[in-house]
Amino acid sequence: MNSVEATVAVLAAAPEALYVASLGTATSALREASDDGPHFYFGGAMGCALGCALGVAERSPERDVICLLGDGELLMSAGSLWSLAGLAPPNLLAIVLDNSAYAITGGQPTVTDGRFARAAAALDSLASAEASTPTDTSARVADTPRPGLIQANVTLDGPLAPDPFVNPDWVLTRFEAACGVPARPDSTPRSP
Amino acid sequence: MWEHKLADALLEAGTDAGAYVPDARLRKVVSRLAEQLPLRCLTREEECVAYACGHAAAGGRPVVLMQCSGLGNALNAIGSLLIPYRIGVPLVISMRGTLGEGNPSQVPMGRATVPILNALGVQTFSVRDAAAAEGVAKGIARLAYDARSPAAAILEPELGSQRDAA
Repeated sequence: MNSVEATVAVLAAAPEALYVASLGTATSALREASDDGPHFYFGGAMGCALGCALGVAERSPERDVICLLGDGELLMSAGSLWSLAGLAPPNLLAIVLDNSAYAITGGQPTVTDGRFARAAAALDSLASAEASTPTDTSARVADTPRPGLIQANVTLDGPLAPDPFVNPDWVLTRFEAACGVPARPDSTPRSP
Repeated sequence: MWEHKLADALLEAGTDAGAYVPDARLRKVVSRLAEQLPLRCLTREEECVAYACGHAAAGGRPVVLMQCSGLGNALNAIGSLLIPYRIGVPLVISMRGTLGEGNPSQVPMGRATVPILNALGVQTFSVRDAAAAEGVAKGIARLAYDARSPAAAILEPELGSQRDAA
């Protein structure tokens, strides 16, 4: 299962969710799998996606929120797992696309296996699951309680496509609309 | 007291959530805000800024509070998320490392806080008394929420209540 196949499986199980995707693999995979859907794509700020998703989830308690993370991304901000457990938003699911490497910079291996599902399982309020096929990924997205974390084991892809370096105005304007935020007079959605 | 003036001005401006890493001078600001809105104590200043960016993108009006020694921890989120995505979040930063500081480890970041913020394009406004607390809080909220320009209140040592204040 590659990162796009995993993300297609996630979207099939949760088509109405609000999505936040971290820099690199997660953003490229979600752009490809959703045909540039109106999601919060990170073009930088590695390590910040789960914190951002916590803010989205707490502001939008009536919506299902899914945070797609790279494994390097989560290693950079592992403390946010504790925040996820502590705030325990009942509408937030984190999914780690775990390829054990930094794909965006050429596939350098991470320092060690993340064992993200096991780490999440150690925290009292978090549900935890692991998936290695698209079928399992869809099933775990459907049946994992929130808050929770799914470790999706994916292969290391080639060069990332589409481009993970997105236009922030394009991202934010469309994501605000997806959240039901009224458009601003200066909203000028452009290309990615 | 200045803490209530600052917190009440933020609340009046529509602030509806917040995230912070604890600091002694911020203690009463935090407790005043927490009476009225969800205020999250998170693991790292960068995470606070990221949380606020998500909250604001979903339609909220969050505030972030931190000590200046944690500003270094937050620069990735400020420089690569808050500013390029033009998300309006007022920052409240409690100073260490300036007038009267006795801890050498606080001094470099204290000296650098305002220059770093200004270099990133974040306007900074000093607060030294209760009157300024109200006006600055109101002003940074308007800059952040209405003009979508990053702005910070700088809580100076003259306000007292820092952990080792004389």
